[in-house]
Amino acid sequence: MLKLRDVNVAIAGVRVLRDVSFTLRPGICTVLIGRNGAGKTTTLRAIMGLVPLTGGAITLEGEALHTQPSYARARLGVGYAPEDRRLISEFSVEENLLLPALAMKLDAAERRRRLDEVYSLLPQLAEMRKRPGGATSGGQGKMVALGRALMVAQKVVMLDEPFQGLAPALAQDYAKTLAELRKAHEGLALLITESSPNLLDSIADETLSIERGAIGAEAPAPH
Amino acid sequence: MLNAIVPLVVDGLANAALIFFVAVGLTLVFSVLRILNVAHGSFYSIGAYVAATIGLWLVSSGLNPWLSFPALLLAAALVAALMGPLIERTLIHWTYGKGEAVQILVTFGLFLILEDLQRIVFGVRSIYADTPMALLGVSEIGGIIYLNYQLLLIGLAVVVLIGLRLFIRHTRYGKLISAVVEDREVSEALGINTRRIFMLAFTLGVFLAALGGALATPTTGVAPGLGAETMVLAFAVAAIAGLGQVEGAAVAAVIVGIARVLAIYYFPALDAVAPYLVMLAVLVIWPYGLFGSTSTRRI
Ligand SMILES: Nc1ncnc2c1ncn2[C@@H]1O[C@H](COP(=O)(O)OP(=O)(O)OP(=O)(O)O)[C@@H](O)[C@H]1O
Ligand SMILES: [Mg+2]
Repeated sequence: MLKLRDVNVAIAGVRVLRDVSFTLRPGICTVLIGRNGAGKTTTLRAIMGLVPLTGGAITLEGEALHTQPSYARARLGVGYAPEDRRLISEFSVEENLLLPALAMKLDAAERRRRLDEVYSLLPQLAEMRKRPGGATSGGQGKMVALGRALMVAQKVVMLDEPFQGLAPALAQDYAKTLAELRKAHEGLALLITESSPNLLDSIADETLSIERGAIGAEAPAPH
Repeated sequence: MLNAIVPLVVDGLANAALIFFVAVGLTLVFSVLRILNVAHGSFYSIGAYVAATIGLWLVSSGLNPWLSFPALLLAAALVAALMGPLIERTLIHWTYGKGEAVQILVTFGLFLILEDLQRIVFGVRSIYADTPMALLGVSEIGGIIYLNYQLLLIGLAVVVLIGLRLFIRHTRYGKLISAVVEDREVSEALGINTRRIFMLAFTLGVFLAALGGALATPTTGVAPGLGAETMVLAFAVAAIAGLGQVEGAAVAAVIVGIARVLAIYYFPALDAVAPYLVMLAVLVIWPYGLFGSTSTRRI
C-alpha cells in the first residue's frame, strides 16, 4: 500500500537515509527499530513530506506521494504522531483532536464519526477533552497525539517512539489501545518506531532494523 | 483642568487607533510568516492614497457624500485584494525560512519599489480628502468639544481588536492561523495548507494597514514619506508590546499615542522622538516587550 523505493535524504549535506526501501501493507503492523540517530524519525518525516528526498520514490496505492505537499499526504489518509507530541498548547484537548478535521474540511457527520471512534478507543481523552493541550502530562499528551493522528489516518498511521517516556502501566494501556485499533480498523497499515526491540513484540507483524540510515535484514517478528 | 486633558486624551487615542491598525497587521504577519516586513508601512500610505483619490472623485462626481464612508473601507479592501496575494506569492514567499538579513533586504527592496510606485501613480503633492470628518461634525459634551470622526476612529479600533480576537479564536481560518503560529510543521502534517494560511495572513495584514491609512486621510491627509514614518511608528508599537501580541499592540498603541500628544502639547521639540523614547525605556526594562515571551509562540 505505502511503498518506499530507494529513498535518500540528506540533511545539511550529510546522508541521513541511504536507499531505504520497504512496504507497509493494510492491516500489518511494521516496527522500525534503530538506535538513537539511526534515522527513524527522518524516515517518518520523509514519508510525511517534512524533509525533502534527494532520491527515490514514495507511493501510496501506486500513486506518487513524494511529489505531494505534506498537507496533501495527510488528506490522503496518512496520520503521524511525532516523537515529542507537539500539541497546540492553547487549544483544548478536543480542539487538538478536531484540528485535522478542520484543516481537511470534513463535514460534520464525518468529523463526529472520527471523533467518536477516537473517544471509544481512548476513553481517557473524553474525560479531559476540555483541558488545554499545554496542561497535559507527557503521557497524556502522547495519548492526545495518538488520537490526533488517528483523526487523519484512514490508511496509514505512523507513530514515532510512542512508548518512550511512558510509565509501564501507561505503556501497557497504549499497547492495548493499539491492539484494539487494529481490530476496529482492519485495513489500517501501522508503522511504529522504537529504540529497543522488546516493547513491541506482541504487536509487531514485521520488524525492520535501521542503522546509520540504512535498512538491515528484514525479519518476521516472532508471534 | 479636565477641559484641557480630555481633548488631549481623545486626540491621543484617535492617534493610537490609527497606529494600532498598522501595528497589529505587522504583528500578525510576523507571527504567522515569521518575517518582519519592512514595507508594511507602505500599505498604510497606499491605503491612504487610494482612499483620498476615491474620496476626491466622489466629491467631484456629485454623488451622495455619505458614500465616502464605505469608500474608505472599499479602498482598504481593494489594496489588500490586489496587492496582498500578489506580493506574498511573488516576493515574500522567497524569504520563508531564510535568515533575517535576507528578509530585511527583500522587504526593504519592496519598500523602495512601493515608494516609487506611489510617486509615479499619485504624484508628490499632499492630498486632503476630509469629507467624512466634515460630515460628522463635532459634538459638545459637558462643555468639551469633540471631533466626532475621532470618536469614530477610537470605536472602530475597539471593534477591530475584538473582531480580530473573535476571528482568531472562533473561526475555522482563525484556528488554523493559531495552529500555524504555534507549530507550522505539525500543522502541515495535520492537513493544513500552510501556504494558503501565509497568503491569507499576509493579505489580512495588508488590509489592516491599508485600513489605517484610509481612515487617516480625513484627519491628516497623505503625503510622500507617510509610509516610512508609519512603519517606524508601527514597529515601535509592536516592539513595545512584544512582537506577536494582538491585545498588547492595542495597549502599546495607546501608550505611544498618548506619549505623542503629550509631547506635542508640552515638549514640541520631542514630538518626533517621543515614541522611540518610550520604546527604548520599555525595551531596557523588558527586552521582549511588555507582553512578549520567549517560550511559546502564540497569537
Ligand atoms: N535537523 C537536523 N540537522 C542536522 N542533522 C540532523 C537533523 N535531524 C537529524 N539529523 C541527523 O540525522 C540522523 C538521523 O536522525 P533521526 O532523528 O532520524 O534519528 P532517530 O533514529 O529518530 O534517533 P532518536 O532515537 O534519537 O530519535 C542523525 O545522525 C542526526 O544527527
Ligand atoms: Mg527520533
